[in-house]
Amino acid sequence: MSESASEPPIGARAVREASQGPPDAEARRRTLSSGVASQDCDAEPIHIPGGIQPHGFLLVLSDDLHILQVSENLVSLTNAGVDELLGAPLDVVLGAAGAQRIGQAAATSALDDAPLYIGPIDLAPSSSDKALRLDLTIHRHDGTLIVEMETAAATGDAFASMYPLVRTFARGLQEGGSVQALAELAVREVRAITGFGRVMLYSFDEEGRSHVLAEDRDASYPSFLHQFFPASDIPRQARALYLKNRIRLVADVDYTPARLVPSVNPVTGRPTDLTFATLRSFSPVHLEYMRNMGTHASMSVSIVVRGQLWGLISCHDHSARIVPFNTRVAVEHLGHMLSLQIEAKEERAEGEYLSALRRTMSRLISAMGEHENFVAGLRAVPGDVLSFARSAGAAIVFDDQVTLLGATPDEDTVRALTHWLAENTSGVWATDSLAREWPPAKAHADKACGVLAVPVSQIFRNYLLWFRPELMQTIEWAGEPVKIESADGSSAPRTSFSPWLETVRGHSALWRQSELEIAAELRGALLNIVLRRAEERAELATELTRANKELEAFSYSVSHDLRAPLRHIAGYGDLLREQEGERMSDKSRRFLNNMLESARFAGTLVDDLLTFSQMGRAALRPAPVDLGLLVKSVVQEVEVEGSGRSIEWVIGDLPRVTGDAAFLQLAVRNLISNAVKYTRTRESAKIEIFATRSGDEYVIGVRDNGVGFDMKYGAKLFGVFQRLHRAEEFEGTGIGLANVRRIIERHDGRTWAEGRLGEGAVFYFSLPVTFRNANGTQGAPNTKSRKNHA
Amino acid sequence: MLKPILLVEDNPNDLELTLVALDKSQLANEVIVARDGQEAIDYLTSEGEWKERAPGNPAVILLDLKLPKIDGLEVLDMIRSNASLKSVPVVMLTSSREEQDLIRSYELGVNAYVVKPVEFAEFVEAISDLGVFWAVLNEPPPGSTRFRRPPPAQ
Repeated sequence: MSESASEPPIGARAVREASQGPPDAEARRRTLSSGVASQDCDAEPIHIPGGIQPHGFLLVLSDDLHILQVSENLVSLTNAGVDELLGAPLDVVLGAAGAQRIGQAAATSALDDAPLYIGPIDLAPSSSDKALRLDLTIHRHDGTLIVEMETAAATGDAFASMYPLVRTFARGLQEGGSVQALAELAVREVRAITGFGRVMLYSFDEEGRSHVLAEDRDASYPSFLHQFFPASDIPRQARALYLKNRIRLVADVDYTPARLVPSVNPVTGRPTDLTFATLRSFSPVHLEYMRNMGTHASMSVSIVVRGQLWGLISCHDHSARIVPFNTRVAVEHLGHMLSLQIEAKEERAEGEYLSALRRTMSRLISAMGEHENFVAGLRAVPGDVLSFARSAGAAIVFDDQVTLLGATPDEDTVRALTHWLAENTSGVWATDSLAREWPPAKAHADKACGVLAVPVSQIFRNYLLWFRPELMQTIEWAGEPVKIESADGSSAPRTSFSPWLETVRGHSALWRQSELEIAAELRGALLNIVLRRAEERAELATELTRANKELEAFSYSVSHDLRAPLRHIAGYGDLLREQEGERMSDKSRRFLNNMLESARFAGTLVDDLLTFSQMGRAALRPAPVDLGLLVKSVVQEVEVEGSGRSIEWVIGDLPRVTGDAAFLQLAVRNLISNAVKYTRTRESAKIEIFATRSGDEYVIGVRDNGVGFDMKYGAKLFGVFQRLHRAEEFEGTGIGLANVRRIIERHDGRTWAEGRLGEGAVFYFSLPVTFRNANGTQGAPNTKSRKNHA
Repeated sequence: MLKPILLVEDNPNDLELTLVALDKSQLANEVIVARDGQEAIDYLTSEGEWKERAPGNPAVILLDLKLPKIDGLEVLDMIRSNASLKSVPVVMLTSSREEQDLIRSYELGVNAYVVKPVEFAEFVEAISDLGVFWAVLNEPPPGSTRFRRPPPAQ
């Protein structure tokens, strides 16, 4: 419940001081004392107006049914003056029978805020001889009993005539397909029941504006259909009051309020709270507002959906109009039924929308699960990504990669937006007016006027973003939406109600609460997927580390255990040949020699394999390397080793790079000695070493005019122990190119080859222009220890 | 008489081949053989079976890395932390090409580290070079031996 009703009224003391003024003096004083209309309207204590509308009478009773306060017009009903009535038992006004009925109602039923109809009572007013039939209602609020009396309807049993109307309405409501249809039915029905000249139904939008959805009117009344009333037309405390008391009536705008006497309830010490009193007197600002609208009588019924004031049914008439209690009850019921139906319709629509969103979400999630990574998954279903947030554009920002779908701002803008989001927002965040929060968005209103941001990791700037374009909206105001200050500085209600068009810009369609909630759900699912992937990667890394350790242990034992027997075979074989060679037959000697050669070859294989495995594990020690000098020294070496063959060397300009000099030397040496080896059969061998720069890498090539190879086997060339030639043709274990590849890959480069059988070959490797020290760090401690013995 | 060479080797084939190699290098030094780390330490500290041996440190220790009971690195560590032994030259003689073993050996103060080549001729050459350098040519630091046997009268 709103504060204004349950807390001691703010103006209590002031009312006592101003008790000699008009009944709404306090309200008026507050209204006049401040400048801005909407603000002081919000502050006006409309629930304690201090008086009632004079078409009825009001009594405030103590628990023992003694009179505490009366409306001053009660004097016209009784022979006694106000002073005589105060403190007197209720019998004095209603007679013993009437007082007894009130007593029963107060004692037996669970009497609360809602006025209870006691029935008609006939009283003989002091002013005339004719008996007056009054409808009697009673309610209890703020600890006091309040009795209201109004002139009863002419017909005896008005409820009976209301029933068919309400029943028709109930059936119509169920058939009404949409909220709009319900609204149209409601205004028709209410007008039929009440006879007001114009009945409108309006709903409040997110900004608090009232939007007229449906209207039923006599032709002599101007139409407000589809127009907007500004939020300030119905101040905040009025909205709070409308939530509690569902129906209000101003019977005659030109009434003179009948004061409550005394102004303060002697039991509670406060002015009596008339929140639930039908006869409650209205704020003079409201009455002025009505007069400005040309309305003499008005009634409004609250539409409350999910505990919120959803809208109002508002009835106007050019003439004063007393709406009897039973009609009001019928309309109030109608309002209740309408509220429930709207709630059901909205919830069903929302539910359907939500389940559509959920279906889209589960398609998104399964797409993400099916693909290597979630970005690829989302890219595979662009339609679902966009429809998920009813957007024209979306962006996936992950690991600094931006993927754009549909109509979006450019990549740089999206990236800049994620920077801003990361610093200024947290969790799922949305706005329908991004430029208001982040000015650079102004230039992109056509695509990114509204944005929904879903962060997908806690630490990095990884986001899913949805964009909505600007939605230019033309609002037809029912008069200029500003309350005008009157000449004497008091806030005055507006006087103009002629339509006034406003174009609202800079907003996209609003993000609905359900959309944000389901976005948060998607985020949860995504985080799970990302998290699961990370766990899988961590598991894989652990597995790899374990496998690496095993491999290390394996190569260590190979180094000892496999080499030793080979050495022994070679050692004993040599000894045997030395001591017994002379005595052996040629055949035996050949056998022994083959044996020894095989043992040596096996030894070389083991050594090569160990070198290869060490090359993968040993730390890189990057330093500047002049490839030109390195190649020259390698060429000199192989020239010295060479058996005096004539080789034409063509060495181009080679770059300086950063890398492990020893490793690179090994790689270059492998390639060059291969070129020398496979040109052996040529009479004039030509070997070229050249380099080009392509983008951010150098490409180094070694070209020979040797035996070449069939490109069919090109993919095998760089594999471990892969050979394309028979051992008799060209010696070797087949580890050389595998070493080259491993060395180059550890420098973040690539290796490949081109060749044709019998026509030579070119072996290439690339090295990044800027060395990235990714591998080098792991061996930092080793670097130090190697220096010790270097 | 020349100081002996201490050969620590567990594998009988390696032992035989090393002895042949030492033989071929025509060194006159006596070769003492220890078959595991414990025996090597017993010899060096004149314990156990070697309680009664004549005092004095070997000219050089040829130490296999992988040994039963106490491995080569542990023996080396013990030698380097023993005041009377720490200046005896130690040559690691091993199959291992592992960088880690190499690093560890040098950290412990090995004098040389030889990976036994598969080629027997190379092995003979390596052993011969080592023997000549450490057992014949190299003059141990003064005071490292308490006892020096005078050269035999010719």
